Amino acid sequence: MASVQFASATRLYPGTHEPAVSHLDLEIHDGELMVLVGPSGSGKSTALRMLAGLEPLDEGAVFIGDRDVSGVRPRDRDIAMVFQNYALYPQLTVAENMGFALKQHKVPKEERTARVREVARVLALEPFLDRKPKNLSGGQRQRVAMGRAIVRKPQVYLMDEPLSNLDAKLRVQTRAELAELQARLAVTTVYVTHDQVEAMTMGHRVAVLRDGLLQQCDTPHALYHEPANLFVAGFIGSPAMNLFACASGQPVKIGDCALDIDTATMSSLASFSGDRILVGFRPEAVRVGEGPLAAHIRTVEDLGAEAFVHVAFDHEGETAFAVSKMPAPFKGQTGDEIDVGLTGTVHVFDPVGPRIATGTAGFAPSG
Amino acid sequence: MQLDTVRQEPGAALGTAPKHDELRRPWRQRFPLLPALVFTVLLTQVPFLMNIWYSLTDWTIVPPTPRTFIGLDNYRDLPDDQFFRDAAWVTVEMTVSAVLISLVLGTLLAVLLDRAFFGRGVARTLLITPFLIMPVVAGLIWKNQMFSGLYGVVNWVTARLGMDSIEFVSRYPLESIVVVLVWQWTPFMMLIMLAGLQSQPAEVLEAAKVDGASAFGTFRQLTLPHLRPYMELSTLLGTIYLIQVFDQVAVMTGGGPDSTNIPFFVYQRSIGGGWEFGKASAYSIVVVVASIVVATVALRVLSRLLRGEEIA
Amino acid sequence: MARLAGAQRGVGERRSVNAVLGVVAWLTALVFFFPVFWMILSSFKEEQDANTSPKLLFSPTFDRYSDVTGTSSGLLSFREAFSNSFWVVIVSTVVVLLLAIPAAYALAIRPVPKWRDVLFFFISTKFLPVVAAILPLWILARNFDLLNTRLVLMILYTGMNLPLAVWMLWSFFREIPRELIEAAELDGAGLRGQLASVILPIALPGLAATALLCVIFAWNEYFYAVQLNPANGSTIPIWVTTNISTRGNFLAKLSAASVLACVPVVLAGWLAQKRMIRGLSMGAIK
Repeated sequence: MASVQFASATRLYPGTHEPAVSHLDLEIHDGELMVLVGPSGSGKSTALRMLAGLEPLDEGAVFIGDRDVSGVRPRDRDIAMVFQNYALYPQLTVAENMGFALKQHKVPKEERTARVREVARVLALEPFLDRKPKNLSGGQRQRVAMGRAIVRKPQVYLMDEPLSNLDAKLRVQTRAELAELQARLAVTTVYVTHDQVEAMTMGHRVAVLRDGLLQQCDTPHALYHEPANLFVAGFIGSPAMNLFACASGQPVKIGDCALDIDTATMSSLASFSGDRILVGFRPEAVRVGEGPLAAHIRTVEDLGAEAFVHVAFDHEGETAFAVSKMPAPFKGQTGDEIDVGLTGTVHVFDPVGPRIATGTAGFAPSG
Repeated sequence: MQLDTVRQEPGAALGTAPKHDELRRPWRQRFPLLPALVFTVLLTQVPFLMNIWYSLTDWTIVPPTPRTFIGLDNYRDLPDDQFFRDAAWVTVEMTVSAVLISLVLGTLLAVLLDRAFFGRGVARTLLITPFLIMPVVAGLIWKNQMFSGLYGVVNWVTARLGMDSIEFVSRYPLESIVVVLVWQWTPFMMLIMLAGLQSQPAEVLEAAKVDGASAFGTFRQLTLPHLRPYMELSTLLGTIYLIQVFDQVAVMTGGGPDSTNIPFFVYQRSIGGGWEFGKASAYSIVVVVASIVVATVALRVLSRLLRGEEIA
Repeated sequence: MARLAGAQRGVGERRSVNAVLGVVAWLTALVFFFPVFWMILSSFKEEQDANTSPKLLFSPTFDRYSDVTGTSSGLLSFREAFSNSFWVVIVSTVVVLLLAIPAAYALAIRPVPKWRDVLFFFISTKFLPVVAAILPLWILARNFDLLNTRLVLMILYTGMNLPLAVWMLWSFFREIPRELIEAAELDGAGLRGQLASVILPIALPGLAATALLCVIFAWNEYFYAVQLNPANGSTIPIWVTTNISTRGNFLAKLSAASVLACVPVVLAGWLAQKRMIRGLSMGAIK
């Protein structure tokens, strides 16, 4: 069990101009489940592979515990990895797959068999110990990949999108099992995914990456309620945050309705020098049916317990779109002319990216 | 590699295809295949039938005898024919040694070539060249330039090491031929084994790295089992091709007791100077029957390899 | 996921090991190539230089090339042999493709029942020793007045390469996405239309590789050529052997002749390199 640290870690693939991972500074606490999340090309897998020793570092260093492992071979780093496509050894049985690493480290046969059996029991793999990977289902293979890592009792677990090849239902189920298992084993885990729902539900902390740069590393709660910049605000949360481009002068108007913003936020706004801002409201802050803004419904996504209502309205001479999260039952339909209100947490962003302020806001009573 | 299941006839599933079309459709489907199929059948079966007929006669051209039917006499004499047995033995020695040595060398070369290094493409191109050289030329070049007792390069090298000059082809005819065969067929083995190495998923090798396997350990425990179907395929194909070697034997030794294999032997007995057509046909039939036996085994192996998921 | 470029030096691995292996690879490549190199070198020598202890330094000359390509009456000339080889190879390859393309269609795109058996029949013809058929073929050729003609070799080389071409094309056709064929069918294209608009354009590289392999095997073929065409219609492989003489030195001339004989096929092989393996393994390996 150990902490992990990336210190200005950089990887530039030969022949490319932009680093895949650029000066990553990240600290992962002992026993923590840290999720690296981001769109494809964000560098999250590369960062994981740098930690594994499958990619070299061009600049910076990587530490496991107090040890600088930047130039150390993967097998000497005391890590275990679960690969996206499982990477099971095709000609070996499940038992041999799980025992492979122990065999390489010359663990005596009896101990090996005992440990493999124990892990197989935990993961409900006992009936399959003598089967080869090609005779297993996707879900079973995934568990063998997990088992192969668990059996080793390493200092750090590395997981590269381990659930992305499972079907949706199995994914949700396995997600919970995985989180529970990690909590029980209390081993430092670095987990890569492109799915922000997975990141939010599993991680103790989440690191959001984009184009090789770390955007924000925080608890899921902080990421959701205090996004550091536009990208994080738009990436975390589904449906995405509604963003409106406005002039920065008072009063801030959406559609042709003025926004009533709390004083703390107002003063942050006042000290902002740019003349354009982006105002963000999450779908739960958008109310359909009551409010000063005239809009019409584009489509309603009825999910049973709630509905996502897509609306359109005029804003600064063009059509703007918003998504509202309304509780069930929702009575509107496509084409309906309705009123829209905004009330709740507001995030104000510099159009270039960084967040200026967060507060509460709503429409002023008089339109 | 997945083999397709036969597709349903469109329309047949719906039950709406007209009756006459259902009868015509299979033949319309078969039609494009017929020219190639008929051509091949004629070209292979007609000579076979002719051979059967001639083998039942005592036909010779020198001295000329009329073709009289003698039944299975030619076949009865065969087991006593020392020359035939010698030729069969030479064939086995030649084929087995050439296949095995080139397989081992080819695998080693494939492992070497599987890494990235400077000028890899050029090195690979150089390595496959022996396979492209005309077999006749290969035989002549090795006989006259490499192995020659007088001017040979090999003797020049061994002289530097203090050894006497050896006229390789006369003293070691079979071995000399095998050297040439190995030289020409190692690239073939190398290419197949290289395809095998490259079809191994990179992730599996990375997992082995993380799990603590050494380079040699990975090769022994994971790569070699992965390569097994490729080794089987290359051995199979190599044997098929090498059993029929003629060119190198003809130009290097022109026969001779230690280096005449079956193809050359049959040629010698028929139009290569023996002109004993009846006997030669009997030899041919025996060889064909033996080939069919080997081929049936080979086809079964090949079929299993093609159905297996291991081949890319 | 297959690897493409092969192993790179891993994290923590010594640079020296990698470099040594690269050097070993190069040494082996050079050793394997050496006889070919020596052959090319000798072709530029005077006969006395070629017929002594191996020399690397000498004054090069093109004379041997003019020696072997010149015509002398009675002997087979290079021009004649080249012309024979050229036509035999081209025609047989074209005919092979004309036969194999529809056959591969009937086995891959709209498979006939028992297509597996047909494929295995084709490959089984490769198992039959060539030498077993030579006597009947020789007799047939004599009876049909085809000895010493180009036609007999064209026919035989077509038969020799046809199984290989059918297998290779079958393996390439199988990779064409089914949807494209179905779209063409819906648009009303029959066999010819599908071939022209969908199949051949996509499978063109595979077609080229197949043709190149047929050219290689037909060009290098010696046994049938020497049995059936010893007098006229002789091909390049036979021409090469005529450059061995019992009187006088011939090594340099033989080398020049060998180089000329091998150049087309070596170039074809270098070009087809990437796809060659598919043909050599009867389509089993991509």
